[in-house]
Amino acid sequence: MRAPEESLKTVGTPILEKNVKISCRDVNVYYGTKQAIKDLSVDIGEREVTAFIGPSGCGKSTFLRCFNRMNDTIKDCKVTGEIIIDDENIYDKKIDAVLLRARIGMVFQKPNPFPKSIYQNVAYGPRIHGLARNKAELDDIVIGSLEKAGLFNEVKDQLEHPGTSLSGGQQQRLCIARAISVQPELILMDEPCSALDPIATGKIEELINELRKNYTIIIVTHSMQQAARVSQRTAFFHLGGLIEVGDTKKIFVNPEHRLTQDYITGRYG
Amino acid sequence: MAHPDLIGTEQRIWVPADDDVDMLVKGHIQADSEGSGRIKPHTIHWINTLKERGALEMRFNRALFTNGDSREPELAGIWGAVVGSFYTLFVTLLLSFPLGVATAVYLEEFAPQNIWTDIIEVNINNLAAVPSIVFGLLGLAVFLNFFGLPRSAPMVGGLVLTLMTLPTIIIASRASLKSVPPSIREGALGVGASRMQAVTDHVLPLAMPGMLTGTIIGMARALGETAPLLMIGMVAFIVDIPTGIFDKATALPVQIYLWADSPERAFVERTSAAIIILLAFLLVMNAVAVVLRKKFERRW
Repeated sequence: MRAPEESLKTVGTPILEKNVKISCRDVNVYYGTKQAIKDLSVDIGEREVTAFIGPSGCGKSTFLRCFNRMNDTIKDCKVTGEIIIDDENIYDKKIDAVLLRARIGMVFQKPNPFPKSIYQNVAYGPRIHGLARNKAELDDIVIGSLEKAGLFNEVKDQLEHPGTSLSGGQQQRLCIARAISVQPELILMDEPCSALDPIATGKIEELINELRKNYTIIIVTHSMQQAARVSQRTAFFHLGGLIEVGDTKKIFVNPEHRLTQDYITGRYG
Repeated sequence: MAHPDLIGTEQRIWVPADDDVDMLVKGHIQADSEGSGRIKPHTIHWINTLKERGALEMRFNRALFTNGDSREPELAGIWGAVVGSFYTLFVTLLLSFPLGVATAVYLEEFAPQNIWTDIIEVNINNLAAVPSIVFGLLGLAVFLNFFGLPRSAPMVGGLVLTLMTLPTIIIASRASLKSVPPSIREGALGVGASRMQAVTDHVLPLAMPGMLTGTIIGMARALGETAPLLMIGMVAFIVDIPTGIFDKATALPVQIYLWADSPERAFVERTSAAIIILLAFLLVMNAVAVVLRKKFERRW
């Protein structure tokens, strides 16, 4: 029996010295009276992939949704603490959550393209934010986003077809194209491959590797192999606490905490 | 005069025979009874003579579709009632659709969950179960007596029927909004749309077929509604075709009610015809609802 305070203390390297994109300090999230995230402090590095792993219900998705204030839309959800993106606390009163979300792309667990054409799916974000002055510019953004998402060659002849007619993997890449169409700084991915087959998963992982050259990416995943393949840093969550965070290699080869070791070796979770 | 050259010439025209003649020819009144009173023996003689000469024919009475109401069944038509119903439903649609959809969107997408919205919700559900005559009484007390709006006017009828159809539209619209998957809203919010943009750009278009169906079903119910219109004076005998929403008018089901109440034997036929026409309108409206639903239905 370990003492509870020992088990929930973050080990590893939560605080980065340089290359910091996001720093979270003392973040707590409550759903009504239930505390989902407990006193969490961690830094996210710029232009690298950070993977959040942990058993179901450990709060990793909840924490991910703090970064674009998606939790605001949930009733009774309260977030305290600071999340600072580029020297700006996004929970500051003067921050507009809608504008914030335009700077942060999000890809969801289940592909959720709009029931509109492929073109309209990608064009929607730039259009509402006025990123294109005319049709030609909008075309460029749409095509560029689809290219970056590795989807353009597959759909270039059917841009007017409904987005929902694509296969699951293509739909998810369409959602990634939609997310990057508004030129975000940060992309959040909430188990983006959990509904996909291994081939589609492989394509998405390749894409993530490509995207990290330009974007900061946080990915929640249930697959340890996926975390090992795509991420540079890994954070392990347990019961709403951050147990261990550090370089992916170190976490998977030589974890400090016993819970982390149990989880990645499959003895637990 | 349109044709002054006709003056002084002889023209043969057909005129509709009296309803008693009609009924006699159709055999609904007995001709042989001396003291029946409605048809005198010499009239029967005339009719027989005219028949022999070929000057009395059975024809389809188009006046039914083009005339307003009349005390004479052979001249009575439903056009006045159709126009009255049209104006009434026009007012109803104009008021209840935007109001109903806006209410549903507010309650479903924006309203906080508190005691006030709970009360509103319970009341909307209760309103759907209120007997329609009560809405008529409310119209009489509030719209006529308090606001002094004109009696028998489609405007007031429309207002009353709006109150009656609102719950139907709100409930159908909310169900329709609920059926839009939350992932669509999240997707829209995720690219930085405001809640308003997420609703108007994505949720509303997807919910629209269901809302339209609910609205048309509500309108069909309003079209067949008689009781509330009785209370606000749309039951009056009105010969003129109404020309606006403030003119005196009656409505189709009320016209049926009026004719069914008339003593002349020939009104039985008018009543039947009017009922068939009302049913035809309802059928058309429901067909439109089905077509709209099929046309706008999208899968996701």
